[in-house]
This record gives sequence, structure tokens and C-alpha cells, in this order.
Amino acid sequence: MITGRILHLQRLSTEDGPGIRTTVFFKGCPLRCAWCHNPESISPQPQTQWFAVRCLGCNTCLEACPNGCLSRGQDGLLIDRARCEGCGKCADACPAGAIELLGKTIRVNELLAELLKDRAYYETSGGGVTLSGGEPTLQPDFAEALLRGLKEAGVSTALDTCGLCSRQTLDRLLPHTDLVLFDIKLLDPAAHRRFTGVSNEGILQNLAYLLDYIRRNRRPDLWIRTPLIPGATADDANLRAIGGYLAEHLDGLLSRWELCAFNNLCRDQYTRLGLTWDYAQTPLMTRAELEHCEQVARASGLRPDLVLATGATRAVEPLESDS
Amino acid sequence: MTTCTVEKPRYAVKTPYNLSPRIQWLRDYYFQGVQRAWNNEYTSWTTGAPWDFQYNELSFYIVPETYAFLQTFRSAFRQTARRVALHPDFWKWSLPERRAWFNREVMVNYLPKEILPGDLLAGARFNVQTSCCLNRQEARRRDQQIYGPDGARAAMLWFHNHGFGNAGATSGHLIPDYARVLREGWKSIHAELEQRYQALSPAEKRGKKGAQLRAMMTAATLPRDLAAAYAQECARLAERETAPLRRAELRQMADNLTRVPWEPAQTFWEAVQSLWLTHMLVMADENYPGPGDSFGRLDQYLYPYWQKSIQDGMDPEFGKEILKCFWIHCNTAYDGMIRTGGNQGITAGYGQLFTLSGMGPGGQDMSNDLTYVLLDVIDEMSPILEPKPNVRLHRNSPDKLLDRVVEMIASSQGSPFLLNFDERSMAGMLLEAKKAGVEPLIHENNVHDYAPVGCLENTMVGNDRSGTVDANLNLLKAVELALTGGYDLVPFTDPMTGKTDKPLRWGEETGDPTRFETWEQFWQAYAAQTRHIVRRIVELYEKSEAVRARFHPTPYVSCLVRGCAEKGLDITEGGAELNFVTIEAVTFATTVDSLLAVKYLVYDEKVCTMAELIQALKDNWVGHEILQARALHKAPKYGRDDDAADEMARRVMELWTEETWKYKTRSTNRQFRPGMLSWNYWVADSFILPASPDGRPRGKFLSNALCPSNGADINGPTANVNSVGKALGGKAEDGRGDWQDYFNLLPNGGSHTMTFNPSLLRDPEHRAKFKAFLRGYIENGGTALQINMIDADILRDAQKHPENYRHLLVRVTGYNAYFTTIGRELQNEIIARESHQMR
Repeated sequence: MITGRILHLQRLSTEDGPGIRTTVFFKGCPLRCAWCHNPESISPQPQTQWFAVRCLGCNTCLEACPNGCLSRGQDGLLIDRARCEGCGKCADACPAGAIELLGKTIRVNELLAELLKDRAYYETSGGGVTLSGGEPTLQPDFAEALLRGLKEAGVSTALDTCGLCSRQTLDRLLPHTDLVLFDIKLLDPAAHRRFTGVSNEGILQNLAYLLDYIRRNRRPDLWIRTPLIPGATADDANLRAIGGYLAEHLDGLLSRWELCAFNNLCRDQYTRLGLTWDYAQTPLMTRAELEHCEQVARASGLRPDLVLATGATRAVEPLESDS
Repeated sequence: MTTCTVEKPRYAVKTPYNLSPRIQWLRDYYFQGVQRAWNNEYTSWTTGAPWDFQYNELSFYIVPETYAFLQTFRSAFRQTARRVALHPDFWKWSLPERRAWFNREVMVNYLPKEILPGDLLAGARFNVQTSCCLNRQEARRRDQQIYGPDGARAAMLWFHNHGFGNAGATSGHLIPDYARVLREGWKSIHAELEQRYQALSPAEKRGKKGAQLRAMMTAATLPRDLAAAYAQECARLAERETAPLRRAELRQMADNLTRVPWEPAQTFWEAVQSLWLTHMLVMADENYPGPGDSFGRLDQYLYPYWQKSIQDGMDPEFGKEILKCFWIHCNTAYDGMIRTGGNQGITAGYGQLFTLSGMGPGGQDMSNDLTYVLLDVIDEMSPILEPKPNVRLHRNSPDKLLDRVVEMIASSQGSPFLLNFDERSMAGMLLEAKKAGVEPLIHENNVHDYAPVGCLENTMVGNDRSGTVDANLNLLKAVELALTGGYDLVPFTDPMTGKTDKPLRWGEETGDPTRFETWEQFWQAYAAQTRHIVRRIVELYEKSEAVRARFHPTPYVSCLVRGCAEKGLDITEGGAELNFVTIEAVTFATTVDSLLAVKYLVYDEKVCTMAELIQALKDNWVGHEILQARALHKAPKYGRDDDAADEMARRVMELWTEETWKYKTRSTNRQFRPGMLSWNYWVADSFILPASPDGRPRGKFLSNALCPSNGADINGPTANVNSVGKALGGKAEDGRGDWQDYFNLLPNGGSHTMTFNPSLLRDPEHRAKFKAFLRGYIENGGTALQINMIDADILRDAQKHPENYRHLLVRVTGYNAYFTTIGRELQNEIIARESHQMR
């Protein structure tokens, strides 16, 4: 039986494709985007995280760890991440759910059964299941089995991908995929390498391959997604360049270009994983900035009605002070 | 603090709009509360007999907050009562005849008739405490049955103090046959009574049946006589009125009142006038503005009059103006105790529920022009408490209706109405028909005519009293009794006397649970205790039901409920065609989760022994925090779409509902039926019931109605909905449910409240998704849904009490986080963001 490693399921997901969906977050990603909003999804290995607000301080976890990776310091639980193997015994033992294991191994059939529980909502909304992450294409056997199982059950499928994978993987997944959510973050290869750790050449080649596949098969549907990161992707030149590229190469094959505003909700997630984040102090965009990006994108040559900007913007009224 | 430009608020508080100067004035005037020159506060009236009293405390046995004041209320109304000059034969009449005459006398000849400036409807004073009209002997017998050592009051207090719940024969909670009054007029009701009376034998005429029909005939003339008095007042005001338009309105009102409600209504204005006057007298008849006196399918039975008046040239805006006056009148119910309660005297919701849309014959949708007009009126008038709207949805509900519903939810921080779901509801009503053997009265071809009363309790219309909040049972008590073999876990200490109960076994002797070797043995003990607590509440209820049946007739209400005239029985005696008493179970999820925790902790995972668990509960978990954490966070819970946990929920549901169907009241032959409303008891009773195995300490809220325990639904709204549907019985795999493929073990229905993040409704695309969610709810969910939106207040509360909001997700595009696990600064930023709307 094929198994895969996932983070969690997001039911009633309304942001990852049409209708009401369940999004499956895969663990592991080939990119290292500086702004990554899901740092727990980068490593393919299981990881543990500790929530101070939930911890009873009972130290049950210390005894449960077979490798002695856990100790209690001044600021709470210390995890020796170099030695932690992600076995999850501490999370199982913790009575309060203060330790979570990120990345659990699950069988395809077990996951399918969970995903089918919301079939009624997929049907009333024109929704379905989205494979996201992390990067689903890093687990091709699992992703293929999952997509195939969903299609056999009559459920619509979407693949949310960074675009960096082998063609063989695309060949295996695309026949069972109704919608591809394809990321284009930066069009300049050097900038792409600087911010994500890899050049975008392979990604754009895969996009071209995908476009060719769509031309031949008249499916799957395609949405392009661009994160709007202040100082990285959210500048006029980049948006114009991507828009121009889409207009030139994807005309008639693309049904949406989504601009996703920078989000800081993951700030504490970095801390919990013992990581630092370059964007920890970056404020959310203002509504005016988001609207500006949307206007630039709409003027870039692509059909303006395909452009959609989403995401949280900065509150502009003063914060209430704590009393 | 920094100063920034302020954008338009993201979630502005809903305000009324499109109000004419007339309605604006009436609305503003209403909200002046105690400052008003006119109000509808209680007036109290006596026969003058020294034993006389007005206040019937039985109606308040389901309101534990009032227990300390029962005697005070009785005395206060007695002392302020004004004397009514009695008919010379008054004391020779039967009790129902006395009541009917006395009420008519007060309403027609004693209370002033007033019309507020600009008002288009007559009928203002209806909050009355009239004499119970008992003679000396009746009063003595009645008081014995209430105040004696075995009396209703002592039994009720004992039951409540020991955490079982509460019960009492309560007024209201029905949908009278208003449609008949509009269609035929009171004239026809009176004629039918007369005819039935004349058909009696001389002996019957002299007996109880004759007396009841005479009383109802007297009651049937009350609306005629009161309308005549108001017609006179309108004519008088018209004479003095100088503004020509208003003069014409007053003349028309006088004209309307000379016809309705005695004659059939001919216009929309007459229909609403007839409805209001008839309804306000229902409120008056039970000496408590009857909670839950509901209108039923307003958009259906008012529609012919709307159509006709529109055809005859009525401006639709004027039609809405009439309805808005009706809205204001409904709210004056709250004037009852205007001086004692804060907040305009609002002490509780009255639940004058009306129903819109829904299924008709053959599964067709019944929405019409008036449905949308009424939705506009709700939107333009809200926020306002009464009347309470309920929108019925089903598989064939049109997109137009759902679009309007979702739009109204989006603009008002939560739904301004309750949603009812036809397929699931109707499956429950058909189960009820089978269980009670009333298939001729509820069947596949008429069940679509059902409507909810009060909050959400499903009943049939015009012939049904289902006593929908009369008995409120804490299912959790059975878990407690199973853990002790029939004793209170913690003995009750009277807060007044400081005396602690001796340990006595109240429950079944189910043995020492520390000797149980299997989960199944514990389940059997729980089942035995469940059977016990159901029997106990039935016995408690009987005491007040018997008193009401004998001493508190309501002949006016009886005229409006089919069955009473035919049987010659008052509705309080079981005269209605459909007679039920609903046991509303409270603490459902807490009970299910407690059983799941016992199974998980003691039997499956052997985390602790039964003795350790019982000790932890006796200690209110103090000193057992690790075990408590395991109970809270490791044991399975209902509400997560976990099939094994939800199967436990269904098993609990099946057990207590099956037990409920076994009983009828002895005094009135009313069949008990199951429901889950749980009003506010889940808050107050949490301080009475001791710690429970699900990890809850005493004082932490119990679960609300059908909802999963607070914070347990960690898999999101769809999982929550799926669990609720499964607990009600789910769907038949072979498609052969009680209605189509649906099952519903709760004919009364169950309350389900869900909270959503406002970002789900931020643009047309997301509103379409929410609409689809509601269609999904029709497939998988329960009978009724109340929608709230997460707002800044909830988030602030989560900052203060993170333990209550462990699983509160803050969802934003592409990412979401548990609110309580993110830093304070970020939390504040999100709160500030939630206080604005995106567009």
C-alpha cells in the first residue's frame, strides 16, 4: 500500500481553487523561498513543534523521548533538532497536545476515505480536492495514487505546484488533474535564484511543457499564482514582466492569475521550528499597495479580468493598547 | 498609539435603513424604553376574593433564574391588582367560563384603547396578569398541589438542585390557526362552537363539555368586542385629526376594525390587523406574553391578501409600512417588566417566530413575492428582537433566495434569522407520526406544512401543542449516576441553610463501577441510569401538568387550536389534535465526550483506573491536571467527523430518544417526544453539575444543544456539520429514510450554532461558496442552524481566555494559524483587522 507524508488537511478550504475544497498539505519542498509562509512544509522529514501556551510543564515528554533530545530551559522546552528523528513519541505522550508532530505518514486509502467525507460540499460548490504543500510532485507515487483514486470516485482534483519537478512526474499526474495552480514568483532567473535558491529555467520549461499538454488535451484548467512579497516579487517591473509573459505564452490557456498578498501569520511558526525569518518584521501590505499591484498586473497585457488580488492587508486604524 | 487615516469599517454594525418618518418615529419611540409616556407593562386584575391570585408560577419552572422570586412575583401582582366588578352569576359559572368572561371584561372594558401617532395597526395593551378566577375551594386544592411537601414546587427545586434539569407546564410555544381567522373570521369559529354546543345532549350541556364550549364561545367574542372598541377610538381620533392623509388612514383603520377579525379579511391591511389583534390576545390569555407564540408560514397565508391588494393598487412600500408597524407591535411584548429589567425591560426572548419559504407539495419551492418583501422588511428593520424570522431551506430552494440569505448574513455580522432545513426536519416529523400513531395527521402529503415555534422547535400548524420547552433534561446526570451506582457524585449543599444532603441513592442501583471489567458493562450502567432520569423528568412534569390541566384553562387559545372544539376539551387538558410534551435534552456533546473519555482512559488505553477517574472528578480535577489534560486533548470527541466517536453520539441519541417515546402524561395523555433546544441551561447548570470525565471542571460551560463541545470541532465546519447529521441518524444507504433518504431522531429538531470567519463572505466568489456550504448543510447537517461571525470581540475574549479557544483558526488567504498560539502583537494586529471590512 502506497503511503505519503502530509502535514494536515484543510477542510472547507476556499482559497485553493474553485468551490469548497479539501486541501492536502504535502511535506517537503525543493525551493527555499526566503518568504516561505509554510516553513513546516520545507523539510521532507517529520519535525516536532512545541506550543508554550498549551504546555502543562509536566515533563512527560522528556521521559518519552528515546534519544534524550528534550530538555527544559528558561524559556520552556528545548528541542535538540540535530538529534530529533521525528519519531513522534513525545507528541503521543504529551497529555495536553502541546507537542505536535509535523508530518505524518498516511496510507492512500485512509486519506481517500477522509477526503470523501466532504463530497456533498464538493458537489454543491463545484469544488474538490487540492494537493498542495510543500510540493506534491516530490511524492509522485503517492500523489498519482491519490489523484487517481479521487478521479475514480468522481471528485474534481487540483494540483498546486511550484513547477519544479521532472517531466515524468508531470506525465503521471496531469491525466488525473482537473486544475493546475502553477506558481510564477519572479521572471528574472537571477532574482529567482537569489530568493528561492533555484533558477526558474526548469520551472518555465515545465510550464511550456504543461501548456503544450493543455493544447493537445484541452485540459487541465490552469491558474497562475504569484505571491506578492515586498522587496522581492511585489514590484512593478516583476509584475509587468510576468504579465507580459503570460500574455505572450498563455493566451487562451489561462483562466486566472492570482496575486497573493504577503502574510505574516507564520512568524511564530518560524520561532517554534527554531528558524529565523528575514520577513519577521515586514508589515502587511496596505490596501492601496495591494490595489496598486492589481492595477499594474491588469495593465500588463493579459486580459485584465483574469487578474485577481487576494489576501489580508494592514489595518490602518490604531491598534488598541492592551489594558 | 499612532494616528492613521481611518478606512471604512470592515464590519460595520448593522443599522436600520429605508424607514419612513412614521416608522423611524415608532422605532425610536420604542427604544426610548422607560422614557416613553405609553408602554405595555403588566397590569394586574382581581376578582376581589381574598384568596385570589394572578401569577401562575408553573410557567416559570423552566426559568431557574426566577425560582428565588416566585413568591415575590405572586405577592407583587396580588398587591397591585385592580378589582373588576363581577357579573352577578360569576361564581356560579365553571372555571373556564369565569376565565373567558373575566379576560374579555378586562381587555374590552378596563384597559385603555390607544393608537400611537402614525401607527397603522390597532391593538396595544396585552401584557396582563388577570385573576386565575379560582373559587375558594379550587384555590386551596391548587395551592396544596403546588406548595405541599410533595407539591410541584418542592419537586421542581429538588430536581434542579440535584442537576437533573427542570420541567414545568409552560405557556405559549405553538402556532395557532391564524390562517383560519384570516380566511373565515372569528364569526365562523363562533358559529362552529355554537353548532357543536347545540348538538350536545342536555346532560352534556350541563356537564364539563358544555361548560368548556360556552367558555370558548365567550372567548370567541373577545376579538370582536375589542375590535369594536378600537374602531371607535380610531373614529374619534379621525374626527380630531387635521392632517388629511392621517385622517384618511384613521378612518380606514376604523373601517378595517369594523370587519376584522370577526369577518374574513379582504385586504392586506385587514389581514395584518386581524392577525395582530388575534395574536396579541393569545399572548394575553396565558398571563405571560406567551413565549414562543409563533406565526408559522407568514409568507404563505398572507400572500393571497398581498396579491389582491397589490392588484387593487396598493403601493408595495405601503404594504411594507403595515408590516413594519406589525414589527413594532410584536416588540412591545418586552414592555411587560419594563421597569425591572435593564435593556428596555428585555429579560428573555419571546420567540414570536415566523417562517419564510420552504417546501410545498411534491418538493416544490414555495417562495413568493411576499417572501422577498418580508426579507426586505427584516433587513430594513434589523437589528430588532421581534418577531424572529426563520428561513426554511431545502434541495429545491432557488438560488435567488439563497443569494438574498447569504447577502443578509454578510451584511449583519451573523445571520439575522435562523435557518431551518426541511428534509431533515420532515424526516423527524414523520418519525413522530409513526411513534405516536398519528399518521392521519402527519404524513408525506402534508408534512411540508410544518413550521418551527419559539426558537427552532418543529411542530405542525394550528392543531399542535408540543410543549417544546416544558422539560429540560441533563443527559450528563446519567453519566454521573453510572459513576456512583446511583448517588450524587458530590452531595448537594443548600446555599441558604448550609445543610448538606445525606448520601442517598436517587438513581438505579447499577453497582460499583470500579468492579466493571469492560466498557460494555459501564455502558449498560449508563443506559440504566438514562432510563431512570427520563422516568424522573416524566414524573416531575406530571405534577405541574396535572395542576395546569385542572386549574388554568385558556379558552381563548383553545378556540385557535383544532381538536379542542371537537373534543370539548381545553388545550391545557390535551384538547389539541396533536399533543406532545418535548423533552429537550441538554449536555449532549458533554455526555458523549464523557462516555468517550471513560472508554478511552479506563478501558481502551488504560491511562487510569476507574477509581482514579472518580477521585479526580470528586476533586474537580484539582491535583489531577495531567489526567484532565488527557481527557480534554487525547480522548476522542464528537464533532470531528470521526466515525467511531460519532457512532457513540448516535448511540446516546438513540438510547434516550427511544426511552422518551415510552411515556405519556397521565393527566392529559400527551405523548413525550425528544428534542434538543437547551436554551441557556448549558451555562447555568454547569455550576450545578460536577466535573465530568471529558475533562470539564464544574463551572465550565456544558455543551449547547446539538453542538459539539466548545472548541472540540478541530476539523472545521464541514466536519462539525457531518457529525451533527450523523448524531441525528444520518442517511439511509438504501435511500429509504423517513423522508427520502433522511433520518432524524429529533422531531422537535436541535439547535446548532456555528461561527465563521467573515473573510468567507468577503466577495461574490466567496459568497457563492458559502451558499454552496448551505446546500451542503441541507445534505449532511441538522434541522436548524444559527450563524455567527467571528468578530473582534470573540478574538479579544480569546486573548483573555486562550483555554476556551484552543482551536480557533484565523484564516487568511494561503495560510491560517491557531489564534491562541501566535504572539500578542500579531493577535492585536489581527483584531484590528477583523474590526474592518475589506469592502
